[in-house]
Amino acid sequence: MTVRWIVRTVSEILVTLGTLIVLFVVYVLFWTGVRADSAMDGELGALQQLWSAGPAAGGGSGGPGATGGSGTAAGPSGGAAGEQPRQPAYADGTSFAVMYIPRFGADWAKPVLQGTATDTLKRGLGHYERTARLGATGNFAVAGHRRTYGDPFKDFPQLRPGDAVVLSDGMTWFTYRIDKRPYTTLPSDIGVIDPVPRKSGYDGPGRYLTLTTCEPEWGHSHRLIAWAHLDATQPVGRGRPSALTG
Amino acid sequence: MYGWIWRHLPGNAWVKAFISLVLVLAVVFVLFQYVFPWAEPMLPFNDVTVDRGMAAVR
Repeated sequence: MTVRWIVRTVSEILVTLGTLIVLFVVYVLFWTGVRADSAMDGELGALQQLWSAGPAAGGGSGGPGATGGSGTAAGPSGGAAGEQPRQPAYADGTSFAVMYIPRFGADWAKPVLQGTATDTLKRGLGHYERTARLGATGNFAVAGHRRTYGDPFKDFPQLRPGDAVVLSDGMTWFTYRIDKRPYTTLPSDIGVIDPVPRKSGYDGPGRYLTLTTCEPEWGHSHRLIAWAHLDATQPVGRGRPSALTG
Repeated sequence: MYGWIWRHLPGNAWVKAFISLVLVLAVVFVLFQYVFPWAEPMLPFNDVTVDRGMAAVR
């Protein structure tokens, strides 16, 4: 046990720790994104498949759009291929809609999954349990990662009043419009996802949408909130809404 | 530590180098597949919801 041996061993341990930290940074910044992108693509593909087997068609990036919808949104659920009836609750951890936000890029399309568990948010955006269904009266609240896991809400602060948030559940296009610039609040402020969100400026029941992510970008001391109201709906058989094509 | 491993690997220098490479890749795989996914949720980037802290209260 010489001094030389001690110095060498300590050096080796420190070099190993340094390498470990670098690898971890690579994992967090890069590898989580690779994994999340592939998981989200998988969810989008599964939704496409489900919807094309059901009564409604189209609804995805590169989807057949206006020409694809042979059925109409008003038609009853076909019962084929496990197509879910409208009213039962969304199944936890599974995707049920696709969100498009043109402000984040023309090809920005993310799956929306039920629940906000850590594992769920690795595969897409998470719909808060106990908040309204898509398009229903109340508040359809969705959380998403701002950084890591594909950075879905990276450009969240760029949302401006009038920006479209478009969702499709395979039968209907829902176009929501942002009403305020993103609002910064504390993590405990759960009133922002109330049916009539607190501090949003809405003064009565309506069909609202709330998006939440973390603030600051790499921290967790606050949350960033964006509110929108339902502006228009149209069946997928009538093609993509003007907010996406215009 | 690394010298000790190197001395205990069988074969000549080329075989040792090859085995070392395989060992390094195996360690990186285990880290990325099991260790980092376990450690990552302890970082703040996962806190994107407003009710996470309240879930236990309800």
